[in-house]
Amino acid sequence: MKGLRSLRALTAAFLLAFIAATALTGLLVYRATHDAVRELVDRRIATVASEVGALAARTDRAGVSRALEAMMRDRDTGDLGLLLTDANSRVLTGNIRLNRPLPEGFTTVDKGLGVKGLSGGRALVRPVGDGLILTVVAETEPFDDYSDARRRIYLFGFGSIILIVVAGVATFGTIIGRRIVAMRRTVEAIIDGDMQSRVPVDGSDSAFDQQARAFNAMLDRIARLMEEVRNVSNDIAHDLRTPLSRLRARLAKTVGMAGEEGSELEAALGDCDQLLAMFTAILRIAEIEGGARRAGFEPVDLATLAGHVVETMAPAAEDNGHRLEAGEQRAASVPGDRRLLAQAVINLVENAIRHTPPGSLIRLSLRPEGAEGVALVVEDDGPGIPPELHGQVLRRFGRLDRSRATGGHGLGLPLVEAITRLHGGTMRLEDAAPGLRVVLRLPLAG
Amino acid sequence: MSLNLLLVEDDATLVAMLGQELRDMGHRVTVATDGRVALDAVVRDRFDAMILDIMLPQVDGLSVLQRLRQDAIGLPVLVLSALGRPVEKIEGLDAGADDYVVKPVTAAEINARLNAILRGRRQTVQEGDSLRAGDIVVSPARFRAWRGGKPVELSKIEFALLTELVRNADSIVTRAMLLEKVWGYDFEPATNLVEVHIRRVRSKLMADGGEDPIVTIRGVGYRLPA
Repeated sequence: MKGLRSLRALTAAFLLAFIAATALTGLLVYRATHDAVRELVDRRIATVASEVGALAARTDRAGVSRALEAMMRDRDTGDLGLLLTDANSRVLTGNIRLNRPLPEGFTTVDKGLGVKGLSGGRALVRPVGDGLILTVVAETEPFDDYSDARRRIYLFGFGSIILIVVAGVATFGTIIGRRIVAMRRTVEAIIDGDMQSRVPVDGSDSAFDQQARAFNAMLDRIARLMEEVRNVSNDIAHDLRTPLSRLRARLAKTVGMAGEEGSELEAALGDCDQLLAMFTAILRIAEIEGGARRAGFEPVDLATLAGHVVETMAPAAEDNGHRLEAGEQRAASVPGDRRLLAQAVINLVENAIRHTPPGSLIRLSLRPEGAEGVALVVEDDGPGIPPELHGQVLRRFGRLDRSRATGGHGLGLPLVEAITRLHGGTMRLEDAAPGLRVVLRLPLAG
Repeated sequence: MSLNLLLVEDDATLVAMLGQELRDMGHRVTVATDGRVALDAVVRDRFDAMILDIMLPQVDGLSVLQRLRQDAIGLPVLVLSALGRPVEKIEGLDAGADDYVVKPVTAAEINARLNAILRGRRQTVQEGDSLRAGDIVVSPARFRAWRGGKPVELSKIEFALLTELVRNADSIVTRAMLLEKVWGYDFEPATNLVEVHIRRVRSKLMADGGEDPIVTIRGVGYRLPA
C-alpha cells in the first residue's frame, strides 16, 4: 500500500480498477445477451424443424414440400430461411440457397453463407426421414449488422462513462491537490516565521472551506498564544533589565569612589554588562522571530554592507592581532533590513576574532549561490569546529567552551540564524580546512 | 545647562531614580504618571523638553505625542520604550518624536540626548558650513578636517565620528548615539566599536603633537570641548 499514498497514485489506481470493472461488466453483458438471443433462436428453429420432422413421418415428399411452402408464406414463419434437399443435395423446395453445405446440427452463420439479407444467424440441419434433409436458418440480429452496431454502442457507451469518470476524478484530484498546495504553502510560510500567513478561503462553505477556516482559526489561536508567550518573555527580560541596569548604575557610581575593592567592583560591573547583553540578545531574537521587522525591508546592497563592515571591524581585528579582509565580492542586492544584516555579519566576524589565535586571517566575501541566491561568507584559518559539533554551536546557549574563557554568551550564532531566517535564507557551517566557514545563503528576491 | 523637564513615566522606581539623577544634574523635573496628566501639564507650564514613556495607563505615549503635534506644540520629545517592540520606534518617530531611546536608560544618556536635540533645534547649520570645536575644524561638505590649521587624514568612519563630536562640542555624546549616527546601528556589538575608532581618531589628531582633545566620560561617552 506504500505506493498508494500519493494522491496521483491513488487516482491512477482507482481509475485502472474502474476501467477494468467497467470493461469486464460490458463484456459480460455483451456475452450474456448474445447467448440469450442464440438460445431463443435455437429453440425456435429446433421447434420448426421438429414440426417438419413430425409431418414428414406422416406424409410423402410432396406433402412435406407443400407444408414448407405454406410455412414460407405464413406470417409467423415467413422470416425463416427454409430449405429441403434430398440426400444428394438436390433442392426440393426452399426460400434460400446455400453456397456451401452445412454440417448436421446447429451452426452459427453469417454473410459468408450467401443467403440474401442475412448478416448473422443460426442454422439447424437435420434429416427429417425419407432421405430428406431440412435446413432452417433464423436471423439472430433484429436488423443488418446488429452485432457490429451493438459492439459500437457498447464501446461508445462504456467509453463515455470511463471518459466522464476519468475527467471527474482528474478534476476532483486537481481541486483537492490545489487545496493541499494552498495549505502546504501556508504551513511553509509559517515555518519560515511568517505567522500572518493563512489558507485562502473562497466563502463557498464547502468542506474544503470549512477545513481551511478551522485551520486558520487554529493558526490565529497559535499566533495569539505565541504573542502572549512573547509578551511574557519580553516583559520578564524587560523587568529584569530594569533592576539590572539600576544595579549597574549604582556599581558604576561606586567604582569611582572605591579604593581597594575597586577591582572586585569592576568585575561585578563586567558581570552586569554580560547579563544585560544576554537579555538584550534574548529580546533581540524574540523581536526578530516576531517577524515585524520584515515590514521595513528594502533593497540592501550587500557589497556596500560588506565593505562597511570590513571598514568598521578591521581596526578591532587589528587590535586583537587578527587580519580582516574583503574576499571575492559580487554585486548583489537583497530585500532586507540593513541593520540586522550588519549585526549578523559583525557577529560572525566577532566570533571569528574571539575563537581564533592572533595572526589568523578572517575573510568576508560575497559569492553567487545558485541562480537565485547570494552567500555572505565569513571564514577564518583558525582551529575550526569539528563537523559533529556544528549543531551544538547553533543551539541557544550552546557553547563549546564551557569555561567561558573565550567570552560570549552563546546567543551569537542563534541570533545570526534568526536574522538569516527572517530574510528567507539559511545558515550553514563548513570546514574551511583549516578553519571555520559560516555561509549565510540569502535569496535575491524575497 | 539647566532645563525644565517633564518626565512622563508610570514606573515609580524609575521615576524616583531618573528624577533624582536629572535633578542632580541641575534640571527641574516635573513628573506625570499618565498621558492625561502630561497633556494638562504641557498646557500649564513651559517645559524645555518632555521625556515620554510609550506604555502608560489611560492615554498612552503615542497618543500624547500625536495630540501635541496636532495642536502644533513643538515641545522637544524624547521617547522611552521597552526593547523588542521595533514597531513602536517607527510609530514614535512618525508621530513626531525628536529622538528615541530604549529602556533601561541612564540619566546621563537622557541628558546627552536632550542636549543633542536642543542643540539641533537651535543650530541652523547651512550645507557647506564648517564646524569648529577648539582648534578642530571639520567641513562635512568637503569631507575634510583640520587641527590647528593642518589637515588631518581620516577614514570615512573616523570623519563621521569626529564630525558628530564637533557638532555636539562641549556636550557628551554617548556610545549609543554615536552608533546610531555614525554607523546607523540600533544594536551594540560586543566589540567596543566606538572606542576602537575613537582611538584612531585620537592618534591621527595627535600625529603632529598636541594634547588629546577628546575627553572620555567613563561608562557614558565622549566630549569634545568647544
